[in-house]
Amino acid sequence: MKASYFGQMGYSDRSTFPSTWPTPPGYIDSKTSVQSYQDGIEECEFAEEMGFDWISFSEHHYSGRIPTGTPSVMAAAVAERCKKVTIALLGHLLPLNNPVRIAEEVALLDNITNGRVVAGFLRGTPNEDQVYSVNPAEGRGRLLEGMDLILKALTEPQPFSWEGRYYQFRTVAVWPRPVQQPLPPVIVGTRSDDTIRYAAEHRLGLGVSFLPVEQTAVITDKYHAWCEEAGWTPGPDNIVYRGSIYVAETDELAREWFEGLQKAKPGPNIPLRRTVSEAIQSARAGTDFDLRGLVAGSPEGDVVGNSLGINFLGGPDTVAKQIKEFHDRCGVGVIDLPFQQNMVDHRGVIKELEVFGKNVIPQIREF
Amino acid sequence: MPFQEKQVEADGFSIRYWEAGQGRPVVMLDRTGYRGTLLHDALADQYRVISMELPGTGDSPANVVSKTVGDLAGTIAKAADAITTERYTLIGTSFGAHVALWQAIQAPDQVEALILVSSTAIHPQEVPAGASCDDVHKLMFAHAENAGKHVPLSDEIFAKESELMSRLTLGVNDSDVEARFGDIHCPTLAVFGQEDSFVSSEAPRVYREKIPNCNIALVYDAGHCIIGDRPEALRNTVLDYAEHWETFIVGHQTGVINP
Repeated sequence: MKASYFGQMGYSDRSTFPSTWPTPPGYIDSKTSVQSYQDGIEECEFAEEMGFDWISFSEHHYSGRIPTGTPSVMAAAVAERCKKVTIALLGHLLPLNNPVRIAEEVALLDNITNGRVVAGFLRGTPNEDQVYSVNPAEGRGRLLEGMDLILKALTEPQPFSWEGRYYQFRTVAVWPRPVQQPLPPVIVGTRSDDTIRYAAEHRLGLGVSFLPVEQTAVITDKYHAWCEEAGWTPGPDNIVYRGSIYVAETDELAREWFEGLQKAKPGPNIPLRRTVSEAIQSARAGTDFDLRGLVAGSPEGDVVGNSLGINFLGGPDTVAKQIKEFHDRCGVGVIDLPFQQNMVDHRGVIKELEVFGKNVIPQIREF
Repeated sequence: MPFQEKQVEADGFSIRYWEAGQGRPVVMLDRTGYRGTLLHDALADQYRVISMELPGTGDSPANVVSKTVGDLAGTIAKAADAITTERYTLIGTSFGAHVALWQAIQAPDQVEALILVSSTAIHPQEVPAGASCDDVHKLMFAHAENAGKHVPLSDEIFAKESELMSRLTLGVNDSDVEARFGDIHCPTLAVFGQEDSFVSSEAPRVYREKIPNCNIALVYDAGHCIIGDRPEALRNTVLDYAEHWETFIVGHQTGVINP
């Protein structure tokens, strides 16, 4: 089994920000911001030193938690410092982006890393639809068409026109071609049947995030079954699971940290005004939305959203066992781990990476 | 704009065609004669459209005379020459595109521009053995619900056309026409549905590689019958190309919001 370090590049003073999305840019201090990216890059370098196989980046917008709106830029910077690891874009939010541009970024990164890139595509959380004013009702269609177009753009040796439902390009001829032929590995991040099936039918990998093992197994079981229907068997690198982690030297120390975290009562993971949140969900589902029914307020307060739990918590042996569950029950071959939790600063991440690298990676290698 | 049915003689065939519109001529070779689509109507708003029924297809008698697709193309070239003395844009669909390719090779002085839609001339995919008319009809579309919106051929016409096409093409790659692609010098557009079950996805690039001035257009979420799955996309692509030829790649729609 392989380990992947999720390069979140979080703004170091993020816990002091107000609990809203988007976070007003006025809260950013340039010095702190520059230092935060330097710290994040140093964490990536240290993860490579500690034996992580992949370093991943995600597209997220308008907050200090994962301030990598253009993940390819971040990946290029880290790829120059980390010369051995696989550079995984997990991933681009396709409905928001020009698919041809994404194909160009993937191909360019694959060249400057000499074939170390993994590409990942997903729809994104509901708040992300607001970033470039995409109609949430069109997200699914844009994702499916975007993936088709990118795969074509990365593999087609002749210029072509694309007459899509959402995209129309009269000349597509992506330069450079990816180093990895016919295509760099592609992971589709999803929980939805139609995109799981898409991944299976196109012989692409699958990425699942933050769900408990039982729910993840439901998704990976479908994926395995549909891959079999499509005439192939996914390998270990085809199934990636991203789960949040806190690892300490002992279970007791990890529990202490977690108790402190619970007392601190962190805000929602993606805090949105209730009206906006429900409007997005209604648009995605194509159902009616009654703004006036919500304006009166609710007992839960104006800002809604769930706190993100911790998927892997404990000392090295405990965490290794928790990861093994995903391997054994879901066929996960790559575990992608965000270490930048609330109440964990840069030094804390470095310490955890050392514990994980020395005591957990040798165990998961055996799975 | 209503199309009027007419008739023209060539090589002993009495060939039906349907005509509407005014302006530069556009000759259309559909797989099975005129069927009144959005594309026909849109073209007729700007051009003199001549939609021809290939001998041996549609309601015409069985064609046992033409020995090759090239023969059939020669007949159609003579028929078109009898209808118009002007150079024309030639649009062929499916088997009609195969005929159109030979016509562009044999009658370069007549064909001003060539548009191939779902051409089956090269890299055809094998139709499942024993497939019925209904089976083939369903395979033409990317979405089953679109198949239901279009009337399939009658069993009699299907059998007649299948006999003609398998006799002329043997259901295999026409390497003779492929070897002559370099002789096609008029502006050429080859349009394919991304989910075409009758043509390999390798085919479009061969047109682009071997025809000197060829663009390829891929229509997303469309099968072999693009007009059935994505009618507006096909109409817009073909109209743009018919008007602008290879410069259709140059954007001409305004990007101004709220001028």
